[in-house]
Amino acid sequence: MGLASTTTGSEGIQFCIFDLKRGQEEGQELDKILFFFPTDLPFSTQLSVIGLSEGLITFTRIFSPEAACEVIEAERHSHVFYQAEPDIWMVMVVEKNKEAEAIWRIGALQQVLKEVHSLFMMFHGSIRALLEKEPGGGLARSHLYFFVMDYLTDFLSGKKLQLPSFRDCLKERGTVQMLTVGREAAIEVQSLVRVVESACAGNAACSSLVLFQDLLVSTTLSPDDTVNLFAYAILRLTPLALSSGSSSWSYLRKGSPASLITTGFIPGNSVSVTEPTYTSRDTSPGRQGQRYHVPRPLQRDKWSKGKDGFLVLETSGAEVGGLNSSTPTVWLRQTDERMYLCVFQQKNLTIILLIPVSSMINGEQGISMVKRQILENASLKILKVDEKLSRGWGGENAYHVRGYRYLLFDGDRNVSRASPPGKVTTLSKDSLLSLNRLREEVDLEKNRARHDDPSHEKDLEVCIRAKNNAWVIARVTRGKELYMVLEKANETLLYASDAVEKFSNRYCNGAFSLD
Amino acid sequence: MLRKASSAQPSVGLSGCGALSHVYIQHPPLRVSIPGSRALFYDDGNKLLLSIISDQVFAWKTVPPVLFDAPTSDSIGEGPVLSIRYSLDAKVIGIQRSNLEIEFRNRYTGEAFIHKCKSESENILGFFWTDCPSCDVIFVKTSGLDLFAYGPDCKALRLVETKRLNVSWYIYTHESRLVLLASGMQCKSFIGFQFSSGGITRLPRFEMAIAKAEANEKPVLAAEDVHIVTMYGRRYCLQVDRIAMLLHLYRFYRDAVVQQGSLPIYSSKIAVSVIDNVLLVHQVDANVVLLYDIFSDSRTPISAPLPLLLRGFTGANTSSSRSNSRDTVHLEISNMSDHEGIIYGDGWTFLIPDLICDAAHGALWRIHLDLEAIAASNSEVLSVLEFLQRRRLEASKAKQLCLAIARTIILERRPIPIVARAIDVLITSFSRSIKMGNTLLGRMVGRETTSTSGIQHVNSYRTRADDSLTRNARHGKSMHESAAASRVDEEPQQSRRTRTGENESLDLTTVLTVNRKSTSLVLDSEENVGPELMKISLGVPLEKSQSNNLHFLGTKECMGAETSSVEVEQSTLQPQVLRPSGTPLKSDVSEQQESQVASPEISPDEMCSFVFAPVEEEMTGDPSYLVAIIVKYFHSAALEKLKVHPNLNVLTIKLLARSERYVELGLFIINKILEPSKEVALQLLESGHHNIQTRKFGMDMLRQLSLHHDYVLLLLQDGYYLGALRYARKNQVNTIQPSLFLKEAFVSSDSQHLAAVLRFFSDFIPGFRNTSDYSTYYRILSEMSSPVAA
Repeated sequence: MGLASTTTGSEGIQFCIFDLKRGQEEGQELDKILFFFPTDLPFSTQLSVIGLSEGLITFTRIFSPEAACEVIEAERHSHVFYQAEPDIWMVMVVEKNKEAEAIWRIGALQQVLKEVHSLFMMFHGSIRALLEKEPGGGLARSHLYFFVMDYLTDFLSGKKLQLPSFRDCLKERGTVQMLTVGREAAIEVQSLVRVVESACAGNAACSSLVLFQDLLVSTTLSPDDTVNLFAYAILRLTPLALSSGSSSWSYLRKGSPASLITTGFIPGNSVSVTEPTYTSRDTSPGRQGQRYHVPRPLQRDKWSKGKDGFLVLETSGAEVGGLNSSTPTVWLRQTDERMYLCVFQQKNLTIILLIPVSSMINGEQGISMVKRQILENASLKILKVDEKLSRGWGGENAYHVRGYRYLLFDGDRNVSRASPPGKVTTLSKDSLLSLNRLREEVDLEKNRARHDDPSHEKDLEVCIRAKNNAWVIARVTRGKELYMVLEKANETLLYASDAVEKFSNRYCNGAFSLD
Repeated sequence: MLRKASSAQPSVGLSGCGALSHVYIQHPPLRVSIPGSRALFYDDGNKLLLSIISDQVFAWKTVPPVLFDAPTSDSIGEGPVLSIRYSLDAKVIGIQRSNLEIEFRNRYTGEAFIHKCKSESENILGFFWTDCPSCDVIFVKTSGLDLFAYGPDCKALRLVETKRLNVSWYIYTHESRLVLLASGMQCKSFIGFQFSSGGITRLPRFEMAIAKAEANEKPVLAAEDVHIVTMYGRRYCLQVDRIAMLLHLYRFYRDAVVQQGSLPIYSSKIAVSVIDNVLLVHQVDANVVLLYDIFSDSRTPISAPLPLLLRGFTGANTSSSRSNSRDTVHLEISNMSDHEGIIYGDGWTFLIPDLICDAAHGALWRIHLDLEAIAASNSEVLSVLEFLQRRRLEASKAKQLCLAIARTIILERRPIPIVARAIDVLITSFSRSIKMGNTLLGRMVGRETTSTSGIQHVNSYRTRADDSLTRNARHGKSMHESAAASRVDEEPQQSRRTRTGENESLDLTTVLTVNRKSTSLVLDSEENVGPELMKISLGVPLEKSQSNNLHFLGTKECMGAETSSVEVEQSTLQPQVLRPSGTPLKSDVSEQQESQVASPEISPDEMCSFVFAPVEEEMTGDPSYLVAIIVKYFHSAALEKLKVHPNLNVLTIKLLARSERYVELGLFIINKILEPSKEVALQLLESGHHNIQTRKFGMDMLRQLSLHHDYVLLLLQDGYYLGALRYARKNQVNTIQPSLFLKEAFVSSDSQHLAAVLRFFSDFIPGFRNTSDYSTYYRILSEMSSPVAA
């Protein structure tokens, strides 16, 4: 059932993580490789991909030491680069194929790399730290293996890996989708947040996230941490994510809970050359996982809702020792603090409470006390908030605006809002392709402006009449971006511009109303 | 001899006395001892303490602050005095000379006449004056009630109505306008009448409960065992049951009398006082007082039993300088006998609502609540706040205490749920007062509080002013009558009922907190008459039994010259007196403002400036606790639909920015938890120095508030001069100098942009080409582009 073993060539997707600091000496090149997908590619192929990437990085660093190459566009492939940590690179190679709809937006692919790394950091800390902890690399490799493979599982569509393509150009990964609430409900939510956060005794600085269905309602985390935890919640915690099999409407996730990890296969990146401990029978990362007790927070269907409303993570490796806590922990980027991840769910509401590990002297016992406190003090309020939000909630298509297919993106706050996916699918392929193209251009322009003058934000306005007579529009103003497609629209530019103006005034508080 | 109203006096310093008590009497008392005094009477209709000395009656005003002048005196001629009462317009003195005769003397003309009972078989038990529209004076006789109208010119009483009833004894308080007539073997069967300016109301007959001591022994209820009290505008009757050791509580509704529980008593001798709607049950034998707040359903005492405290006794000279200055005027203060300091002495008579008359020493004490002590002795923050919020007499003190409690619990970082509930108490209390302020009823309440605030200056004129007040009342009465004219023709019983309702509502005006649940209220203009007039009047004949033994001596004597001086004062004071009671009819706005000052409710503004702002200054460390409290406050305020003071929004922004919680701040702004205002926008801009997103929120808010000028300036400041120009053009902002735009364009060293800006102004501002700006920048532009041309 392992997809990795079957789809290598045809899929045309390769994904590797390597460390430029490692394997500097002749004959030890394999040591560089921390992760490679597909796992069953011969080392020679793996090494040639990494070699090419390394060469390009070294070469482009001559001209731009700060930001080396971001992408290579070859005739049939695109190589997308992302420097996750100093000298640790993630590279994704995707095949271009018009027939197979393999048309990519580089920015979107980079966001995938960024997301998987951010999530990895959140659970396991930095790759560098793992490498330093165990210089042989086995620890980092096994963690990466399980984590990235679990992550990629979400992109499985049937037996194919379906990465974000042009069809997803009205989505922005790495952003948060928010529920719009009225003042009264917002105050209600905030007052709930205070009650929940005060449940941790003493002066512990708890943080929390409140989601309504798949939408964020409140956060007391920093923007980065909010994005990460929100992404994780959407992937694994929300009621929709819990009821596996059904696909979330706000995220591309189709199909079965198949896993990319197979029990029987032998991974390619054997490190037997340099690390004698691995020369024994224990070369499978699967078994390495047991050896290192790798927690797999991204493994599907491991979260379940307990009787008390709190979500429980089934831990497979726990019995071997090491972690005696069944409550998972995460690192916060802002404070560099390890936090217990405590998730409560009731009806549509998901409340994620983060409790500093340092404040919990008696670990699991303390957490169950906090849980009891929440149930005692907040359950009524939670019900009330849920009721209030449900009443004001317009359903899946709440943020649909008739006649518009749009993506609204606030780069400062990492918040986006878009037409519901069901509505986006009604767009013709031509429109989507045009918008994808336009977004590529805007990305480039934005990058250029950022390099030129980081303090000054670029204003941008593009209206394109596409081949299929649809208007494809992009507007960038002071950190806010608006993309839209107007099909079946009038042919004049004035009409298109009016449409944007109306949208801006109605839904964006006039942020895009320029003149 | 005279005391200042301690209600308005800061007694904070005095609380340092250290003695444990919740109620106190303040030394020095009102001295009424004049050598040769035969008896003391309390005229509750006029709030006068009367002392009879040979053929003179001396009257002291008991309403604080009493003026420092000597008592007024009137000649009443020789003869026994069973009871004596001034008429409500203070023109006539009624003197009961025997159980058959009552003498009436005009204070100004000195004319007098004696009203005698026709039949020897009936005795006069007492009499009282009334402001009831149909009659002026009412005799209570063993055979029932006689209602008389008084005609000064005809020099006689005209019988209006007689109500035939058997009466063993009666009690009446002017405060409640209620007379209760006891009858039956055990004197436990009662009939009540209310003679208010709204008319006469007959209460249904009811029986009081008395436990049986032994099978054949039937205890008889005495007048001392029954008390009429008014709390929160509700009329209650308190009945002591010595056998069961219970104090039964009956509440008078307009058409029913309902027993509302019983309070245990711990002494065979019980006295009752009501101060600021708090019921004081003096357990005389045990020397302690128990306090009850009957407003809530709880029948548990507010605080532990503690003795009544005499304040300032040991050192009249050590008290405030003000009292010293008084000492010089009234030297007898220092001559206080040791016995006078005895609490619950034998000579004490408790006068409802809040006075104690020490007949043995000729002293009159007023009982005060020590709100500070009550607040300090009770650890239940919520019940203390609720209690304080219901206080009106010392409203500003109560308010200060509430504010202090609110500050303290936040500074002590009490658990959020507790602080939250405390905030709820304060907010619901304020919101209730606001809601009532929007209705006619509320205005009454508002005015009520005014009168308490103004108690010092208004009440000081009370006795002399009553005349004018009464006239005023009559004015209101006539208005009422016309308003109720349609009801006059109704079937008597029916109309009586309606009037009971009016009376009930009238009573409500005299109180602060109103039981709105009770009966549907009929309001009429009558209530616009000075409420304190009704509130602070009551009548318990002093030393009834003693005076009963006196013999009647009829005399007619001219009034002395003093009366004329009274009259002069009256006329000068009249306007002042009229104003406080008259204004509410005209200007309710000023009224309500005034009431806000004098009520303990805490407005959002005060919450901001007296709780949150000082707390914010004092609090150190993580501000998230305070933010949580403020959020809770927002929550409670939103539930009550109260607006939050903009400064609190600003404060919240500061707190969030200080702890760098910009994401939350963003949520607060987006969801409009912090309502948009210019203050908020400017604070966002200021806090946004370290966070660009916050700054953008500030700018967006300026734009959304259409503060175009500020918005354009900020755009310019950030270097977005083209955007600023577009915006200025669109919103017709003409107030910004073109040079500012030109300068920004020049700084960007983009000659095309500079040319565009220059062209813009040349095209849209007439005569711009002739300005120095134009020439300056035109030259700069040509210099910039010349190298390109060359």
